[in-house]
Amino acid sequence: MKKIYIVAVVMIAVAIALLTNASKDMSTYANFEVARESGRAVKVNGLLSKDKEMYYNPSENPNYFTFYVKDTKGEERKVVLKAAKPQDFEKSEQIVVTGKMAGDEFIASDVLLKCPSKYKDEEVYIKSGKGT
Amino acid sequence: MEEIQYIGEVLWPRELGHFAILFGFVSSLLATAAYFFATQRRGLPEFSSWRNIGRGAFILHGLSVLAVIGSILFILIEKRYEYAYAQKVVSDALPFKYIFSAFWQEQEGSFLLWMFWHIVLGSILMKTARNWEPPVLAVLSLIQAFILSMLLGIYISAETKIGSNPLLLLRDVMDIPLFNNADYVSLLSGNGLNPLLQNYWMTIHPPTLFLGFASTSVPFAFAIAGLWTGQHKEWLKPALPWALFSGAILGTGILMGGAWAYEALSFGGYWAWDPVENMSLVPWITLVAGIHTHLVARSTGYSYKSTYLFYLLSFILVLYSTFLTRSGVLGESSVHAFTEMGLEAQLILFMGAFFLLGGSLFLWRNKGIPAPQQEEDFASKEFWMFIGSLVLLFSAVIITASTSLPVVNKIVQAFNPDFQGYVIHDAVAHYNKYQLWIGVFIGLLTGAAQFLRYKEFNWQGNVRSFVKHTAISTSLAVLLTIATSFWIQLGGWQFWLLTFCGFFTVVANADYVVSFLKNNLKVAGSAFSHIGFGLMIIGIIASGLNKQHISSNPMVQRSLLDESMLEKNVLLFKNTPMYMSGYRVTYENDTIEGNLRTFVVNYQKLDDQGNVQEEFSVKPAAVYDNKVTKVVAYNPSTKRYLGKDIFTHIATLPEKEADFEKAREREEELVYQTYYFKLNEPLVIRDTVETAAGQPAILETEAVVKSINRNPSNLDYQPEEGDLAIGATLEFRKKDTVFQAEPMVYLRGQLWGSFPVQLNDLSFKVRLNDEILVKMMEAETKLEYKKFTFKQGDEINLNGLTIRFAGVNKNPPAASFKKQEGDVAVAAQFDVSKEGEKLGTAEPVFLIRQGGFLTPKAELPAANLHFYLTKINPDTETFEVQIAQGKTDVFDTIPVQIAKQSYRTDYIVLEAIVFPGINLFWAGSLLMMIGLAVSMFRRMKAKA
Repeated sequence: MKKIYIVAVVMIAVAIALLTNASKDMSTYANFEVARESGRAVKVNGLLSKDKEMYYNPSENPNYFTFYVKDTKGEERKVVLKAAKPQDFEKSEQIVVTGKMAGDEFIASDVLLKCPSKYKDEEVYIKSGKGT
Repeated sequence: MEEIQYIGEVLWPRELGHFAILFGFVSSLLATAAYFFATQRRGLPEFSSWRNIGRGAFILHGLSVLAVIGSILFILIEKRYEYAYAQKVVSDALPFKYIFSAFWQEQEGSFLLWMFWHIVLGSILMKTARNWEPPVLAVLSLIQAFILSMLLGIYISAETKIGSNPLLLLRDVMDIPLFNNADYVSLLSGNGLNPLLQNYWMTIHPPTLFLGFASTSVPFAFAIAGLWTGQHKEWLKPALPWALFSGAILGTGILMGGAWAYEALSFGGYWAWDPVENMSLVPWITLVAGIHTHLVARSTGYSYKSTYLFYLLSFILVLYSTFLTRSGVLGESSVHAFTEMGLEAQLILFMGAFFLLGGSLFLWRNKGIPAPQQEEDFASKEFWMFIGSLVLLFSAVIITASTSLPVVNKIVQAFNPDFQGYVIHDAVAHYNKYQLWIGVFIGLLTGAAQFLRYKEFNWQGNVRSFVKHTAISTSLAVLLTIATSFWIQLGGWQFWLLTFCGFFTVVANADYVVSFLKNNLKVAGSAFSHIGFGLMIIGIIASGLNKQHISSNPMVQRSLLDESMLEKNVLLFKNTPMYMSGYRVTYENDTIEGNLRTFVVNYQKLDDQGNVQEEFSVKPAAVYDNKVTKVVAYNPSTKRYLGKDIFTHIATLPEKEADFEKAREREEELVYQTYYFKLNEPLVIRDTVETAAGQPAILETEAVVKSINRNPSNLDYQPEEGDLAIGATLEFRKKDTVFQAEPMVYLRGQLWGSFPVQLNDLSFKVRLNDEILVKMMEAETKLEYKKFTFKQGDEINLNGLTIRFAGVNKNPPAASFKKQEGDVAVAAQFDVSKEGEKLGTAEPVFLIRQGGFLTPKAELPAANLHFYLTKINPDTETFEVQIAQGKTDVFDTIPVQIAKQSYRTDYIVLEAIVFPGINLFWAGSLLMMIGLAVSMFRRMKAKA
C-alpha cells in the first residue's frame, strides 16, 4: 500500500475522532429547565421580558446587569449578566443567554441580541424640519 | 390613474445603468462563448477570429461594468436621493472621502467591486497569458456573467427575481404616499453611511479583500484550462506567480480585517473566529496548500492532481463564503453579514455551477493526469510538503465544518421543522483547540522540510546534514521556548509544544537562508513566509493566551460567581483618579466633534512606592449615529509599546450621555422646586433619602445666593449682541463642605435658554428659569427714562456715571434688530465710564423699515443702563436719546429652582486589556505576505 494512503487513513481516523469529540462543544439551544437539571453551562434561547425590570446602575457596580427572559417553554427567569449593559439592549426581542443556573437566577457570561429589523416608515426618507 | 409628472429627478443613471447591466451580462456570455470556441479551435485558422470576438466582447463587458460603477458613483457623489441606493448609503453630511466606502457598503456595490477586479485581472491576462488567454478568459467571463446576474433585477414573477438592480429609484422599490407629491425629490434626505463604517479601514479593507477574492479566480481558471486542454504541465508555470499573488493579496485583505477589528472596533482582539472571518480564511488556507503542491509538481512531477483540486477548491470556497455572508443564513451568528437581498437560490446556483464544472472536468480528465509510477521517497521534500498541504486541507475542513453548522441546521429544519438546531457554546475555545495542532504540525513541517531535498536519490549523503541542522534548530528552539516562559505564561504543555514549534520553524528557516541559500534573499520567499508563520504563532500565544484585563477593581467584592467570570470593567468619574493593576487612571475630559465623542483618559504607571514611573493618555471614543442622538459603538484606543499593547475602550456610558433622547426624558422626570431666596439670606433645603438600613432620613443642606451677576458666563454660552442674561452665584453648605454653583439664564429675542448646574456631591441640579427674566423685565417697565439731546462730543452725568456721545455708526451690528432687506439703520455710540474707568459702549439703533421706523433698545448691563434712540434731527445734527438706569434692588426675591436626586452622569465604564507580544503577531503575519510577494516576483522573472 502506498504511504500516502496510510497517511490519508490516519487523517480520516483523526478527523472522525475529532468530530466525535467536537460534539461536546455543541448543544442545542436549551431552556431554563434543562439548565437547572443539567447544572452545566448552556445557551438559552428566549424572549426579553420588556415589562419586567432591567437593572443597571454602573455607579454601584459597572459589571452587574439584570433582566428577565422568557424561554421557549414559557418559563421566565431573572438573568444576571456580570458585565456592562450591552448597547441597544431594550430594543432587542430575541435573546440568547449563555451561562448556568444558580438558585432561581440564571448567571450569564454572554448574551447575544437579535434586534428587530428597522421599521421603515415614510419619515425616514424625509428631511427633518430643522437644520440642514 | 393619472401618471404623475415628477420634477427634479435625474433619470439618465437609471437608463444607462439598466442598459449597461443588461449589455454587460450579454457581452460576458458572448465573451464566454467566443473564448470557448477559440479554445476548441486552437491551432485552426478560425481560431484568431473567435479569439478576437472574445476580446472585443470582454472589453465591451468591462466598459459596461465601468458604466454601471460610474452611474452609481454619480448618484452617490451628487446625493441623488431619488435613488434607493443613494438614499440608503449617503447623506448630505457624509464627507467625500467616504463615497467609495458607501459604494461598497451594500451587496450590489461589493459585487461590482469584485467584478471590477476581475476586469483588471482579465485585461492583464489578455495581454500576458498568450496561449492560455482563450480558456482562462472563457472561465473568467463565465464567472463575470454569474456575478453580473446578481444585479439584473429581472422579475420572473412577483416573488421571484433574478438579481437586484442597484440603480432603482426609491419610487420603483416602494409605494408610499410621499410619491403623490410631484416634487418629492426636494423633500428627500439620505440615511448616510453606517457610522461604524466611517473610517479609513472601510476604504482600504474591502478593495484589498475583493482583489484577493478575485485573484483566486485566476489559478482556478488556469486549473480549468489545464484540465480542459489536457496540458497538465504547461499551465503550471504561468499560473504560479498568479497563485502567489493571490495568496499575498488575500492574506493581506484578511489581515486588514483583523487590524480593523483590533484598532477600530471594540471586539478586544484581532480574530474572533466569526463565520465571515473563517470563510475568508479557509480559501486562503487551501490556496496556500495549492501553492505548495504546485511547487512540488513544478519540481518533481508529483502532485498534479492535488494542485488541481486545491485551486478548484479555493475558488469554490470563495463562492461558498460569498453564499454564507450574503444569503442571511448565518443570521444571528455573525456580526458582519450583509443584509439579505433575496438571492439565496442564485448564490447556490453560482456555487453549484462551478462546483460541477470543476468536479466533472476533473473526473473526466482524471485518468490522463500524469502521476509517476513510483511514489515519493519517504525522505524527500515533496513527500513532506504534500503532507503539509494535507494538514492545511485538514485545517480548512475543520473550520468549514464548524462554521457550516447554521447551514446544517437550516437543512435539517427544512425536513424537520421541530429541529432545534445546534450551536457551539464557546466558539473561540472550540476553534483554538483544534487549530493548535495544525500550528504544531505546520511549524514542524515548515522547519524540517527545508533541510530535505526534492527527488531525494542519495539520502545517505544528505542524512548527516539533515540531522545536524534539525538538531541545531531543535536545541535553539528549546532554549528560546524556555526563555519565553520567563516573559509570558505558557500554560499547559500543548502551549509549550506550540511555542517550541513556532521557534523551530523560525530558527530552521533562518538557518536555511544562511546555510543553504547563502544569504541570497531574492530566493528566500518561502523562508520569509515560514519565519513569519513561526513569529505569528508566538505572537498569538503571547497576546491571546496572555491577554490580561487590567481594568479590574479588586476592592469590589466578588459575589457568588465562579472564577471564570472575572470583573472586567471599572467605573471612572470625571477627574477622579482610580487605581487599577498598578496604574492610576483618570478620565480627564471629553470633546464631541461631528458624531465622534472622544474621551481623554490619563494613565500613570506607579511603582511600589506609588511614584509615577510613566504617564500617557489614550483617547477612546463613542460613535454616535448620523443624527448625533445615540451612541452606536465605542472605538478603542491603544497605547503601543514594542513588547505589548494597552488596549482601552469604553464599555458603556451613562444612559443620559449615550442617548440624548433618554437624557431629555430623564431631564423631564426631574422635579424642580422653586425656592425664593433673598440675597445673602440662607435657606435650608431638605431632602428625604433612604439610609443604608432602609430607613428614611432627612438631609439638610444650607443654601444661599451670594450675588446676582448681570454679565454671567458659562462654557456653553456664547453671548450675542442684544442678549439679556442673568446669573446667580449660590453656595451650598453640607456639614463642613461648601459647594458653589453659578446657574444662568438668557433671553435672545423671543427665546430663552437656561444653563443649569449639576452638583454631583449633593445630587442636586440647580437652574434659573424664566421667572427671574420676567422679574427683570417687570423691573424694566418701572424704569424711569429721561430724555437727553446729544450733539457730537456731548457728555452728561447720570447718577455718577459719565455718558459721552462718541459718534455715529452707519453700519450697526444687526443682533438687536434682525436685519431685513431695505433696512436703513443708524446707531449712536455712547461711551459710559465711572470715575474715569470705562464700563463699555452702548449703541442704540434708529431703524427705518418699510416707511416706518423702529427704535430697538440697547442695554449696557455693566452699568445697568438702558437706551432708546428716539429721534435724529439731521438739520441740527442732534440725537434725541431716552436713558434710564435700572435699580439694583429689583431682586427683592430671587427665584432659584432646585431638583433633588439628580444623579451624576460624568462617568465612563472602562475596559482595559494588555496584549503582550501582539507586535509579533503583526510582524509575523506581515512577513508571511512579504514572503509570498518575494516568491511571486522571483517567479515572474523566471517567466521572462
